[in-house]
Amino acid sequence: MKLAARDIIKDYPGCRALDKVSFEMESGKVYALIGKNGSGKSTLVKLFAGVIQPTDGELLMDGEKLHFKTPKEAHDKGIVTVYQEMSLIPGLTVAENIFLNRMPKKGRMIDWKTAYRKADGLLKTMGVSIDPRALIKDLSMWQKQIVEITRAMSFSPEILMLDEPTSALAQHEVQNLLSFVRKLKEQDIIVIYITHKLQELKQVADEIVVLRDGEFIGQRPVGDIDNREIVHMMFGEVSLRHRPEDVVPGRDIVMSVRGLTQKRTFQNITFDLYRGEVLGIAGMLGSGRTELLRAIFGADKFQEGTVEIEGKRIEKFDPIHLIDAGVGLTPEERKTQGVILMHSVKDNLNYASIRANTIGKYIEDKKKRTENAKKQVRDLQIRIPDMDSPCSTLSGGNQQKVVVGNWLSINPRIMLYDEPSRGIDVNAKQQIFEIMWKGSKEGISTIFVSTELEELLEVCNRILIMCHGKLAGEVDPDKCPIDELYACCMSGEIPPEIVYRRKEA
Amino acid sequence: MRINEFHGRAVKIFILDHIIAIVLILLILFLSFAAPSFLTVTNWLNILKAISMKGVIAFGMTMVIIAGQIDLSIGSVVAIAGVIAAFACENLPGMSGMSLTAAAIIGMLTAVIFSGGLGAFHGFFQVRCGMPAFIITLAAQLFLYGLAGIICGGFPIAGKMPDWFNHIGVGRVGNIPIPAIILVIIFLVSFFVMGYTRIGRAVYAVGGNAEAARLAGINVMTTEIFCFAATAVFATIGGFINSAQVLQATFNFGRGWETDVISAVVIGGTSMTGGVGRISGTMLGIIFIGVIANGMTLLDVSVYMQYVIRATLLFCAVLLSIFLPKLKQKIS
Repeated sequence: MKLAARDIIKDYPGCRALDKVSFEMESGKVYALIGKNGSGKSTLVKLFAGVIQPTDGELLMDGEKLHFKTPKEAHDKGIVTVYQEMSLIPGLTVAENIFLNRMPKKGRMIDWKTAYRKADGLLKTMGVSIDPRALIKDLSMWQKQIVEITRAMSFSPEILMLDEPTSALAQHEVQNLLSFVRKLKEQDIIVIYITHKLQELKQVADEIVVLRDGEFIGQRPVGDIDNREIVHMMFGEVSLRHRPEDVVPGRDIVMSVRGLTQKRTFQNITFDLYRGEVLGIAGMLGSGRTELLRAIFGADKFQEGTVEIEGKRIEKFDPIHLIDAGVGLTPEERKTQGVILMHSVKDNLNYASIRANTIGKYIEDKKKRTENAKKQVRDLQIRIPDMDSPCSTLSGGNQQKVVVGNWLSINPRIMLYDEPSRGIDVNAKQQIFEIMWKGSKEGISTIFVSTELEELLEVCNRILIMCHGKLAGEVDPDKCPIDELYACCMSGEIPPEIVYRRKEA
Repeated sequence: MRINEFHGRAVKIFILDHIIAIVLILLILFLSFAAPSFLTVTNWLNILKAISMKGVIAFGMTMVIIAGQIDLSIGSVVAIAGVIAAFACENLPGMSGMSLTAAAIIGMLTAVIFSGGLGAFHGFFQVRCGMPAFIITLAAQLFLYGLAGIICGGFPIAGKMPDWFNHIGVGRVGNIPIPAIILVIIFLVSFFVMGYTRIGRAVYAVGGNAEAARLAGINVMTTEIFCFAATAVFATIGGFINSAQVLQATFNFGRGWETDVISAVVIGGTSMTGGVGRISGTMLGIIFIGVIANGMTLLDVSVYMQYVIRATLLFCAVLLSIFLPKLKQKIS
């Protein structure tokens, strides 16, 4: 069986997600579909799954043209997708989940015996021992993922797509899943494995298909290619715009973090943050970067370690005390943690400063609130119909600026940005970076966490590398090409020539 | 033509925005014609007096619902507030020889402090343990019902309160019933708190998105305790008025009041999902419920029919609140 894509184009209003993508795949092999965020991986998956239709070009299965109007049509053709989000129902058994909506029946009643027997048979042919009577919620993450794949396989698919199946798994679980996927090859189907983790694809894939900015970059057997080449294919020649010359860290330490440890997520994190510095934290998904920021801000508990701000040790870790120490955090999930969507722009710009903008201790100062909101809207160039429109009506970029403005109104000493550029357009991204640089010149220190490595290189004075919850070292963005940075995040090893050295004035 | 269209749209949006008030006015007009005694000062003062007990509680309930929670315990709080006050009046003078007035005041203070503590209990377990407020306050409802029964021994404590206590329920200042005055005072206090203070803003934030509020440095527990405590204290005041009117107290006073109280809040436009709502809306909802009860009584509608009509009203109010935004979007 052969699957081919010919000159696939997919346009969205204002942007081309896929531009003339062509490739061929054949059964009995695992293909790793790779690319950085926004490269068009997900768009391609959705096309195969019938969720969206191509603007132009064609998909061929053994020479036959495929036109899917709905996901069901793709499913009927034998194209089955296992998405990142788990779609299992936790309170039901493994068998029920596998045969959801098509449980074997005896007359009008469910035939439980057959259901368990068939489920057991399926799981056995997949070579795993999971009890079909177990409840999903009692399984570990990788077992759940395997049940999900088993369900997909029970449709006897021709093509199985796995969308980052390991992203939710712990390190030791990944191996179990990978060996499971390798076995799938024996079933003579095409497995398309979407990932951004290099070590995995080496273990699991036969060939890689690389996309970058919606373009097909190449298709190569895994055996013929080394990591450096793969990264190069993923990122291409990156020309970095550079931060302004006058964004330089001061000489005094604003915050020192010592031995911070949160069981299972990060251990023994120690670093200093200088005045006006823009400090990046790089690391793969699950490296503990977000958790570290949240712990410093007091949003989550941690077990060991200390944080000193301006020489004063923080005794109580909760957002209230950290705000009092002059720290602000723009959280990772903008819509669920950053703004209150149903409330107005004005309200959302005034939550962090709720205790400051008062007459006496308890009465709200309406005038100060309005002034502050106006100032932030002006300074950050937030584009809104008016102050009273709910935040839910704003674009992602403007929402993010509202989150930032909310924090700038406490006149912070330290700003923690967690994925501030996620889901916002290029222009807004650039404006967010400029806000960081401007803050830096005014003496605000910044910690910036991002999945987008080129952003870190562009924006930061110094980059910490986190790998499996440990601080692997610090890198000088001026000496570090993007593929090296990527390799550092993957391996946790930092070549001496790119290690950050403090410039002595 | 254009201008007309624009005006038409503006009018439609105005109507949608004030739909409850408009329906209320139509209802009042209808009742004025149908029942000649409806539109008199005396009758209106009666409406206010009748609705005052549930009304004061509705303002607290508004805060709780805006904060994204619910309080089902208020009926039992009404009962136990009266029982505690009456119990003090019955026993303290005999035990320590203090005056009846002092005993009544001590009893009332105890009830207020008790309800404040109850609010703290509700808020603490909701926030710290993530228990649903529905269950916490349902348990409290049963518990306090039983506790009130234990304290009063299952029989009304009657005729033990001082005469002045009676005034809280039936007294008048000039021509205005004291319960109506209490209702207006609590309305003004709640209106001020929710519109002009830090804690009021925090209530909206916590109800809108508790996690975002927490990360913005808002103390979620304090905020919820405030709402639950306000509701319980207001329910205690409602309980005083109730007991004062009949000069007795027993465990089944206030039973089932939560239905009317929550109805008033919801009819007033407060969203059960939290984060949205207005005290002034609740005032409107209270009057609405009062007017309907009063009008139906004047028109000799049976009690059972009154239930049917009130239920329909509640249902339609919520249905409306779901479709209003969509309708509005369609128009504009």
